Amino acid sequence: MSEDKPQRRLRATALDETDLRIIEVLTRDGRAQSTTIGEELGLSGNLVANRIRAMDAGGLMRVVAVADYRIHGYRMVARIRLQVTGRAPIEVAREMAKRDDVLSVHITSGRYPVSCLYAFHNAREMLEAVRNASADIPGVEDVDVELVNNIYRYIPAVGPLGT
Amino acid sequence: MPAEAPEYPSTDQLDRDIAVMLAQDARQSFRKIAADLGVTEGTVRGRVKRLQSAGLLKLVPIIGIDRPTDAAAISQGNGPHMMFITVRCANGRLDHVREALLAIPQVSALYDANATPRLVAVCILPSLDHAAEVMNQILALDGIREAESELVLQSVKYNAAVGPIATLEDLALQSSD
Repeated sequence: MSEDKPQRRLRATALDETDLRIIEVLTRDGRAQSTTIGEELGLSGNLVANRIRAMDAGGLMRVVAVADYRIHGYRMVARIRLQVTGRAPIEVAREMAKRDDVLSVHITSGRYPVSCLYAFHNAREMLEAVRNASADIPGVEDVDVELVNNIYRYIPAVGPLGT
Repeated sequence: MPAEAPEYPSTDQLDRDIAVMLAQDARQSFRKIAADLGVTEGTVRGRVKRLQSAGLLKLVPIIGIDRPTDAAAISQGNGPHMMFITVRCANGRLDHVREALLAIPQVSALYDANATPRLVAVCILPSLDHAAEVMNQILALDGIREAESELVLQSVKYNAAVGPIATLEDLALQSSD
């Protein structure tokens, strides 16, 4: 019967049912105390604390703070996508990644293979960034700008944990 | 150009410092943060509460993006996939399409962009099969003129600690306080 009882772990290599239930509670309250989570799930506070540590140690899950760009003094965010010819998109992506105000850079399967999330303090900064990307970075053929207007949903599900 | 940006409470350097410290680990003690920043624990608690209720700071569990999350994914050498879907709506159908996209659970972020009726959905998917399934659902929606999908093949830079996260709903809750 002890088969089904959740075990303590040093370092998690995959999430099990117990971990997923703990994560569900953390989604509602990221700073919920281990004992409170335990009471809700019928587990000991010690086990909950152990599982949270083990998921972190294994690079599987961590509770982090995500800040809106406005906290950091930015006034607008745009997804800027670059069409690249005659050059590997990864080289263009690495150049974009060096810029501080570029929050993320992905290589995608689309027509514009370099996709950047770019934050700006004002409209002039954005216009300059777009102009620079097309004029100063070799291989950039076309630039598409999507200025984020209204945000309807944001559920931060995944991210790099860098363990 | 989009409408005037909504009014959010002003923030200062202390708010930024607290956000940066919590970005590493949101469960660390407020006492430690307070000591590091030279303020009281009550100040840290109050600042976090204020930012949270404005929707400007969210303390949330994040699943490691490069780690498989279940046994099936591991056996397939698979992991979470990210996909952007850009949808251009037919005239007057933006609201309808937006509600339909919000009903799809795999859509983890949704925003509208530019003057053209364009919606961008960010999807987090456990496998490529799910990508096809979501695209099938979206292309079948009424009121869509064009949908473009982009599967993320490689993440070169990913700052998960900052982003467009304060939703219209957060704003509405705040102004009703």
